[in-house]
Amino acid sequence: MVLGLRQFSQRTGDGAGQPILDTDNGEELMHVQPSVSIVLGNRPPDSPGTLYITSKQVIWLSDVDKTKGYAVDFLSLSLHAVSRDPEAYTSPCIYTQIETEAVDEDEDEEDSESGEVLDLSKVTEMRLVPSDASLLDTLFEIFCECAELNPEPIEDESEGHNWIFSADQLENEASVGEDAGWHFFQDPTNSIGHSNGDHDLANTVLQTLIWFSAQLKFVLASFTPRTTFPFGFHFHIPCSFKSMINALRMQRRWNMKVTAAISEP
Amino acid sequence: MLFFSYFKDLVGREVTVELKNDLAIRGTLHSVDQYLNIKLENTRVVDQDKYPHMLSVRNCFIRGSVVRYVQLPPDGVDVELLHDATRREARGG
Repeated sequence: MVLGLRQFSQRTGDGAGQPILDTDNGEELMHVQPSVSIVLGNRPPDSPGTLYITSKQVIWLSDVDKTKGYAVDFLSLSLHAVSRDPEAYTSPCIYTQIETEAVDEDEDEEDSESGEVLDLSKVTEMRLVPSDASLLDTLFEIFCECAELNPEPIEDESEGHNWIFSADQLENEASVGEDAGWHFFQDPTNSIGHSNGDHDLANTVLQTLIWFSAQLKFVLASFTPRTTFPFGFHFHIPCSFKSMINALRMQRRWNMKVTAAISEP
Repeated sequence: MLFFSYFKDLVGREVTVELKNDLAIRGTLHSVDQYLNIKLENTRVVDQDKYPHMLSVRNCFIRGSVVRYVQLPPDGVDVELLHDATRREARGG
């Protein structure tokens, strides 16, 4: 997803009607507000136009120039507010701040002020001025509702630190780790503790364990009669898993304690 | 959910919300939701010289993801209670 304001010109009915929404992905039109002018940064207002509030974005389309329109995702709207103070802006309006990709403080609004070339991706403020100021509170509430429909996308937290929290998971990992373990066993240049990219701590521990159990098997095979070997093998593996799960549990608790300690004032 | 319920207890109190873009807004906490989106009333910008145009907005919705800090009223924090709650949360129970 791209942050910030962008041009919008996809309209229905030969480019003269309503904005074309991404209905396939569940985008719905929530509110239409005619005769709203838009103010980007410190530029003079563009007017008049129609405001379309959808479940995903805010779209403003010019009534005069049918090719002119702007859109911003709710995910990019850092805040919105009702501004009625004439000192803040001459007309009562909905004031919004837009999160942009890269904030360059030296040149955000000074440039757009000149009005010659407007770089939409740098616009950090947008005002929506309805001709009827009594609508502001309603519009504000609609903005709030739609913002709540758009929480931050959940990041894949398992990436980078694959903590193992259950024995089931561990066994699944084990089948993957075994290959790595055998591979390692054959290739002594790949030393223990040097995880190569996607191997995290747990995998390294597992590799080590498998390495040890492989050694053990070797030792057992050479010092015990062949018949008792399977017993020894099975006896030792569950032991290693159990202690490893405990170690991981303790680590997890410790991490959480540290986090809790940090959040304490 | 801990901080969601914690902030719900602060509704009606004066807080200062500092955003990741350095803007700090002071106002009465009107409501908070599960995403820690924050609604303030009777807001004013703390650093008025830097953000003169935001002198006063009456009510303001702040997206939870852009909040850096929330400054609390000193008596709005029951430290002991918060300690216990964070520990309970850490144990997952």
